[in-house]
Amino acid sequence: MTNLSNQNKYPYLGFGLGLRKEHYQDVLDSQPAVDWFEVLTENYLIDGGKPLYFLNRIAERYPVVMHGVSMNIGNTEPLDKDYLSRLKKLKNSINAHWLSDHLCWTGTNGTNAHDLLPLPYTQESINHVVQRIEQVQDFLGCRMLIENVSSYISYVQSEMPEWEFLNEIAQRADCLLLLDINNIYVSAVNHEFDPLNYLQAINPQRVQQFHLAGHSDYGDYIIDTHDEPVCRAVWELYAQAVARFGETTFMIERDANIPPLAELLDELSLARSIAAIVQQQGYHKDTIQVMLDSIPVQKVIPTEQEKMAI
Amino acid sequence: MIAENQSLKDLQMQMLAWLQVHDKTIKSSVTGTEKVPADIRLDIYANAYRYRLIEALEETFPAVNTLLGDEAFFKLGLGYVDAHPSQHFSIRYFGQHLSYFLASDKSYREQPVLSEMAHFEWLLREAFDAAGDQRLTLEILQQIAPENWPALQFSFHPSVYRIDLSYNVPQLWQAIEHQQEPIDIVAQEYPQAWFIWRRELKTYYRSMDVDEAWAMDAMLKGENFALICAGVCEWVDEQNAAMRVAGFIQNWLSEGILSSIKPRKIS
Ligand SMILES: [Fe+2]
Repeated sequence: MTNLSNQNKYPYLGFGLGLRKEHYQDVLDSQPAVDWFEVLTENYLIDGGKPLYFLNRIAERYPVVMHGVSMNIGNTEPLDKDYLSRLKKLKNSINAHWLSDHLCWTGTNGTNAHDLLPLPYTQESINHVVQRIEQVQDFLGCRMLIENVSSYISYVQSEMPEWEFLNEIAQRADCLLLLDINNIYVSAVNHEFDPLNYLQAINPQRVQQFHLAGHSDYGDYIIDTHDEPVCRAVWELYAQAVARFGETTFMIERDANIPPLAELLDELSLARSIAAIVQQQGYHKDTIQVMLDSIPVQKVIPTEQEKMAI
Repeated sequence: MIAENQSLKDLQMQMLAWLQVHDKTIKSSVTGTEKVPADIRLDIYANAYRYRLIEALEETFPAVNTLLGDEAFFKLGLGYVDAHPSQHFSIRYFGQHLSYFLASDKSYREQPVLSEMAHFEWLLREAFDAAGDQRLTLEILQQIAPENWPALQFSFHPSVYRIDLSYNVPQLWQAIEHQQEPIDIVAQEYPQAWFIWRRELKTYYRSMDVDEAWAMDAMLKGENFALICAGVCEWVDEQNAAMRVAGFIQNWLSEGILSSIKPRKIS
């Protein structure tokens, strides 16, 4: 266990967006009503130039949180100390409220696959990841958040469902959870489980933040592409998550096919309305359905060629 | 002794072998469903691995992409992914060996303009997010006593990169970048010296005469003013050498590419 004694979560930050280069100037010029921004850590682990210029200015005006993809917490090689040092330096320089990365591995044997590869849900993985998160938290001097990833395979080695794996790691490493509602939905379809079981099983005391995002639905399976608006089914699941976890710092991830900022602000308003209604009245399916009538149900039927191109 | 995480280690090596060389050992550890068999599931990862890395190349090397065309660029990407797997925590560095790969791989080395373009685009990328630094000003230089000039050394801004090009690469790049009429690839009689730098948030490049390029290279190596003046005598009369080098320095000051001097003795 780390000796970080504070048992509380970080303060609630409200409704945020991912900061993307397409919106840098717009954010500074129009100062949109976004409560906070999540920044992609690796984009700013550089020495200077435009990305850092805008990050520093935006961090002066908005609370920021760092979200990374390269900690490689599940890898079986030693942690990258250089990476962690840069992480710590950036966190201090922009006063990030917290930082998160994914519960997965992203490469091994000196190679970075730059993908969020799932771990087998075993005691061995738990023991391994727990001591790595502890090392990171000791080094950074703060609690980190780990995020559930979308996955397309399950391993025969797995000894438990993903939600038990996630809970036990959070509990034993004394870290917090970034619950990606879209990833839960994607994995539920891909592995044919009920996403509500997942939500109901997660320990609310550990949940610090939500992610929502769009995906590409290929019928039999879903790919987590972050290139579309959040779909209706994920909004519904979000409403259920608010019912279970209460007021939780929220953000929408959009990484490709980036729309004008205004479009994302509309999605953010919908999130606020859903959260407000569920917190006031509890979760009522009919109320949520009416709110979501404007959200299209989308399904991509891929050509063979597109299927290859995922 | 078997490590506590040995089976996890083995599984990860198998998955990596699947991604990189389509080794199917991992398949025995993956469960499929009736709807989505294990093969399709594994293909999702194998495809994503290549597509994500090739996408990063497309972003860094748009002009190489245009010169080759999309299909050939994709093929180049596939070859490069296998030859130079990413070893950096950030995907931003993935393309760092592309110029070398284009110069050495037998499918591309007969077209050296490709390697030169990749080198040029890589340096644009390097200048784009290089460290910031102070800019040396004329006022500081004016305070240097004449007797201190011979020993003076200059440092350049960290975003300054030198490149010699045998083809009209910057012109080609510009036509592609601004979506102008395509221009012909032209081999120069002699390599042309260029440098790339960033000022505030903008990246620039310009060509240089051979003596200016020599002086810049010497300064980048830390040679002092006296030695550079002596070297420039290869191209200009001895009595004009100091003036010539002073002229370079003046240009560089106005371009904002000098950051400091050493020793900073002020009269
Ligand atoms: Fe996420």
